[in-house]
Amino acid sequence: MAKVIGLVNLHSDIDFKGLTERRPVASVSFLGRYGVIDFVLSNLSNSNIDNVGVLIKEKPRSLFKHMGLGNSWNFNSKSGGISLLYNERYANNPHYNHDINNMIENIAFLEKSKADYVVIAPEHIITTMNYQDVIEEHEKTGAEITMVYQHIKNADQSFIGEHCLDIKSKRVVEVKENKGNRKERNISLDTYVINLKTLMKLLTKAQNISAFFNLSDTLAYLCDEREIMAYEYKGYARCLNSIEAYHKYSLEFLDLDIFSQVFKSNWPIYTNTNDTPPSKYKKNAQVKKSFIANGTIVDGTVEESIIGRNVEIGKGAVVKNCILLSGCKVSAGSHLENVILDKEARVEKHKELIGDKDSPLYVKEGDVV
Amino acid sequence: MSREVVAMILAGGRGTRLEALTAKVAKPAVYFGGKYRIIDFPLSNCANSGIDIVGVLTQYESVLLGSYVGSGIKWGLDGTNSSAAILPARERGEVGATWYEGTADAIYQNISFLDQYDPEYVLILSGDHIYKMDYALMLEAHKARAADCTIAVLNVSLEEASRFGIMNAHKDGTIYEFEEKPAKPKSTLASMGIYIFTYQELKKYLIEDAKDENSKHDFGMNIIPNMLNDHKKLYAYEFDGYWKDVGTVDSLWQANMDLLADKELDLYNLKKDWKIYTSDTTSHPQIIGSEGKVTNSMVTQGCIVDGEVSGSVLFDSVHIGVGAKVVDSVLMPGVLIEEGAEVYKAIVDEGVVVEANSVINKEAKKVELVSVNK
Repeated sequence: MAKVIGLVNLHSDIDFKGLTERRPVASVSFLGRYGVIDFVLSNLSNSNIDNVGVLIKEKPRSLFKHMGLGNSWNFNSKSGGISLLYNERYANNPHYNHDINNMIENIAFLEKSKADYVVIAPEHIITTMNYQDVIEEHEKTGAEITMVYQHIKNADQSFIGEHCLDIKSKRVVEVKENKGNRKERNISLDTYVINLKTLMKLLTKAQNISAFFNLSDTLAYLCDEREIMAYEYKGYARCLNSIEAYHKYSLEFLDLDIFSQVFKSNWPIYTNTNDTPPSKYKKNAQVKKSFIANGTIVDGTVEESIIGRNVEIGKGAVVKNCILLSGCKVSAGSHLENVILDKEARVEKHKELIGDKDSPLYVKEGDVV
Repeated sequence: MSREVVAMILAGGRGTRLEALTAKVAKPAVYFGGKYRIIDFPLSNCANSGIDIVGVLTQYESVLLGSYVGSGIKWGLDGTNSSAAILPARERGEVGATWYEGTADAIYQNISFLDQYDPEYVLILSGDHIYKMDYALMLEAHKARAADCTIAVLNVSLEEASRFGIMNAHKDGTIYEFEEKPAKPKSTLASMGIYIFTYQELKKYLIEDAKDENSKHDFGMNIIPNMLNDHKKLYAYEFDGYWKDVGTVDSLWQANMDLLADKELDLYNLKKDWKIYTSDTTSHPQIIGSEGKVTNSMVTQGCIVDGEVSGSVLFDSVHIGVGAKVVDSVLMPGVLIEEGAEVYKAIVDEGVVVEANSVINKEAKKVELVSVNK
């Protein structure tokens, strides 16, 4: 059996405004008990890939803490492991701080892996992709590079700014930007299977074309001269490329049809755990259509919201269409709609916080309002 | 490497009064409080008290308990200098296969385990009590008095006293007499089954006790009385927090209800002092559906609630169907309450399916146990 390693690629320009002021998108809390990165890590784990590198772009502190030894995702085998790959040299140099330079800086990880194939996937596109299916196709076609895409019919509303592909007889012939001007597109999921030897050569090649080129630029540049196979993924895929998308697609999970596309009994989503007790619903609790993480104490009304760990919702408080990250406190009698409270924020004085459905009100980590 | 203190948790009991709940698992492995097993409490207390070496003595249905405790990673006991060791009753070189004949015999059979750490003190714990306690404070008291044995006691009511082992002590805490379940108690200091012994003293008494054919090889019945006869220094250490022996279906139910009533056991760690560690599953966040209503209850991850739940404790991956009603009950992992079913004042064991529109214990006079093992 071929040896496969995984690379989670955190090099992108996406930010979630205040949510990513001090942390990468990868460790932003998602659905109350996960970090955004848990989905791609779980896909790797469920695809039996246990040697994984994380290409970190910036603000690594919370990510280091989240990852630990990787046991939560089963990466702690003797043959596998998790390697946090950081490019100190270009940390403060945006044009140079890209995935190609990170891989060159940490080339030892690739060299020592003795892998046949490398699976590269981003953290911000949430899927339940089985990479073994992609690898099987990759082997069958004999390709050196396979790109994963999804054919979507709402490209005017989602994945805007992401790459889309022109495909002819299963080959990628052009890579363009999805400007949102057409409904049907083959959207690149920024997910690749590449032969390790090919990847090593690409790193040198990319540098010769442009020192600013990242991996997707390089593949786009080369697609008319190299054979790049296209693999169609048909499962759940959402692109968290803004705080608005994060808010929208988080709350979309409250629809159980969407929920059951991702949470399947044969595809566990792993995360690191905190020994939080069960949540407590007090006398005045009225919770409907919501996700509640453990450790939360509710004595108010919660509707169509996602509540993180150890949140306290006081007596008679109302929380609607909100995302509350861990450790928040909403004092008695407050009223919150379309609000994102970052970790440990406390609503005390300003009791009515109403955001817009398409543009949620954001309260910073630890702020008291 | 020698240690100041090694903890030994007695976890071999069956707990027959828990009926079907212990048909297939040892009592310390019984579920409690929405996501815990009973043994999480002494193990977390050890971890929080800075104890690095914990032996877990198992006998009845030891496999599940053994794999649950594992290397102790859940309680942070798997470091280079720490360990949780499962010590089952077993075949041994010099005597062949033996069972643990009593609490003292269980420790006696593991003297070589203790010797390898050369401890100054040994902390003996029970694997089936619910409480939060800082053993380090108890050890300080033991050391300050240069005691041979310190016994944790709880001040119970006079009516309750005849159900416990009672320590009769002088004002300064010196124990002069031990009475097991006295009809007319002279004191209300009930033994919690938590002992700190100066190890070399304990070892002598264990070796002597093992030779005594008439002994029950029990700490309460033999070791403590023998030490009192020899005028050893035994002290009572009074504990004033929440403590519960969840030995019966009723007391297990009651202890779960105590959690809802915000009794002293603060699982939410609002005082930021003492977390109880346990195994976490990979289940999704709990979901309260459009039809759900949950009050005065504890619910954990993996649950999907579409019915009405009040005064209840729901473990991992419990599903409550539309129109179902659950009142004053404890639902263990994976329980499915189908649409329109009603459950009152019950403990529903792991994996039970309560069929649509059926009604359990509507009169709710006493706690009903529902189990496939019954």
